[in-house]
Amino acid sequence: MKELARGWSKYKYPYMFIAPVIILLTVFSVVPIIVALIISFTDMDLIGLADYSHIKGVGFSNYIDLFKDPVFLKSIYNTAIYVVIGVPLVVILSMAIALLLNYGTGWLFKTFRLVYYLPSITNIVAVAVVWGYLYNSNYGLFNYVLSWFGIPEQQWLLDPSLAKVSLILLALWKALGLNMIIFLAALQGIPRDYYEAAELDGATGWKKLRYITVPLLGFATFFVTITTLIGWIQFFEEPFVMTKGGPLNATMSMALFIYNNGFQLNNFGYAASGSFVLFIIIIIATIVQFAVRKKEVEY
Amino acid sequence: MKKKGIITVAALLSISLLAGCGSNDSNNSNAGASGDSGASGTASASSGTSGGGSTTLKVWFMGTSDSVEPIAKMYEEKNPGVKVDVQAIPWDAAHDKLLTAVASKEGPDVIQMGTTWIPEFAEAGALLDLAPYIEKDPALKADNFFDGAIQTTQFNGVTVGIPWYVETRALFYRSDLLADVGYPEGPKTWDELKDAAEKLVAKGGKGHYAVNIDAKDQNYLSMFAWQAGSDIIDSNRQPLFNKPEYVEAMNYLNSFYKEKLVPVGSELDTFAAFKDGTLPMFISGPWMIQGVKEKDPEIEGKWTIKTLPANKNNKSLMGGSDLSIFKYSKHPEEAAKFISFMSGMDAQLKYYETSNSLPALKEAWNDSRFTSDPLISAFGEQLKVAVPTPMIAEWEEVSQASVASFEQITIGGADVQSEMDKLNGKIAGILSK
Repeated sequence: MKELARGWSKYKYPYMFIAPVIILLTVFSVVPIIVALIISFTDMDLIGLADYSHIKGVGFSNYIDLFKDPVFLKSIYNTAIYVVIGVPLVVILSMAIALLLNYGTGWLFKTFRLVYYLPSITNIVAVAVVWGYLYNSNYGLFNYVLSWFGIPEQQWLLDPSLAKVSLILLALWKALGLNMIIFLAALQGIPRDYYEAAELDGATGWKKLRYITVPLLGFATFFVTITTLIGWIQFFEEPFVMTKGGPLNATMSMALFIYNNGFQLNNFGYAASGSFVLFIIIIIATIVQFAVRKKEVEY
Repeated sequence: MKKKGIITVAALLSISLLAGCGSNDSNNSNAGASGDSGASGTASASSGTSGGGSTTLKVWFMGTSDSVEPIAKMYEEKNPGVKVDVQAIPWDAAHDKLLTAVASKEGPDVIQMGTTWIPEFAEAGALLDLAPYIEKDPALKADNFFDGAIQTTQFNGVTVGIPWYVETRALFYRSDLLADVGYPEGPKTWDELKDAAEKLVAKGGKGHYAVNIDAKDQNYLSMFAWQAGSDIIDSNRQPLFNKPEYVEAMNYLNSFYKEKLVPVGSELDTFAAFKDGTLPMFISGPWMIQGVKEKDPEIEGKWTIKTLPANKNNKSLMGGSDLSIFKYSKHPEEAAKFISFMSGMDAQLKYYETSNSLPALKEAWNDSRFTSDPLISAFGEQLKVAVPTPMIAEWEEVSQASVASFEQITIGGADVQSEMDKLNGKIAGILSK
């Protein structure tokens, strides 16, 4: 006890400095997660919400039902597709754009930085309206462009297999800007000396990229990969505003499935168990990333 | 959406805690205004204020506030001492907001309920039984309103709402284009609708459709099922989705998809397509009248509205909103009085003026603005045979399942009867939970 008190008086100020963050995290992250875990073992619905005495514990039956629910299984499959296609594309393309934009500092380059960044700060509802028109099979720009080449009209959002691709394209467009900025910042942190030394040794442009730039972007790449991965596992906004999960649940993501069950159908217990499955998947994905990262060489 | 799934569900609870804290002082201030004023009045011998006091009535409406505020003002003028605090909630956010109100047991006194929400919130016990108030006030009697509208206010035999406005679906059609294919007065039966549709598309060619089918909306499917003589869920809570009548309706609708008479999805802009004749008919509600008038002035006089084509009958959907008293209201008496005013002649006509919503009060339909306008009176005609969706709390879940099945048929190409058998089994499972 004395130890504790001494420890407290010694570290009083550091504790006070981190207190706001700790409190906020506890109130808005840790407590809700615990509450959700508890709810996931109950049959909580609207009646239960109005009168807590109607809430009954149901053990693991929510989780069992979940893995029997074809829509949930489909949503896991869809989410996996989003992640497998989307994440590598985001990382590679945003790095490529950052590299290209890093070649110059003229007004053209600055303008394009803005052009690439704009999508990430645009409101998703506005994006949905505009992209809805681009994808519209009757009046859409995309089909109009296709018609120049004699390609027949595509049902961008109404064809079950094409709809997923359409949403990935939209999400990709939206995600590039922010990640590009991170890569740009990291690029500017690479000391010029390395390039000069390499040039003296006769390294060409491609070799400099391969052996200096990309390895030194390692940490930025790791950061972008992990945040993008987490973001895409929770893929929600795009199907929510564009397709509502349709057609035939082809674009239903796990997060949208949880939302639908929680807020459309009032099955809070069921939704909470779904969100816990999602939570565990994210934790696992993150741990795997960290494990892989450890094997990499530090510079 | 970082951990949002978890957080949002749990946030409901935290919000209920926060709102619970907040509720204390508003309770006190309300009590101070009405209940306590009598007691303190006698104590301080200033009994002058005890009779009137000032009550603030909190009212939640969906939509925009400018449609309701003028009516609230009318009420305040007639009832000095009562302040009506109107809060407008966008329709999209309303359901979530009502959930939080139920969770926190703290909300408005009077609440506008979309008719399809009545069962779920009534089952949760969030709405007050209005029987004692209806007993006292003849203006609230069921006879005053459309039958279909009254059905939406009942849950398990308890009246939890008073009809406020109604809406139904009817057929908008281009009279000029329909005349070209031999139906100047629009199709009257299912066979005529199908025949007119085939002819219109054959005549129009590529990019032309006949009518819209809103396959995302169970209401649309329900209407055709009713017309085929089907019910949707019987009185013993048994689903009837695989019975011959319902299947007939689905087959009929599916034939429009097979022959490409309807646009897939909702990607066609109705106003533009109605104007250029690529969609000469559509089924929708009274809110579209103003839009067509404003956006398609070029075709004025070339379009009109009629009741839906009939099979065994021409039933349509009874929608709209009711007014209910929130269970946790501190002023149920005043709330009932306010609702009585809102459902009365003056307020009903005024609300039509401010929002174009059709009155639920039958007597209001004798007013010249309804009898003289053929567009509106078509809806008046349709309302007489309009019925609400089944009043069960699970309806949202049932209708989502049904819409998904219909999608399996039209997009997935599933066999109608076997898909409906599957759906019926699934819904029986939902209802027996």
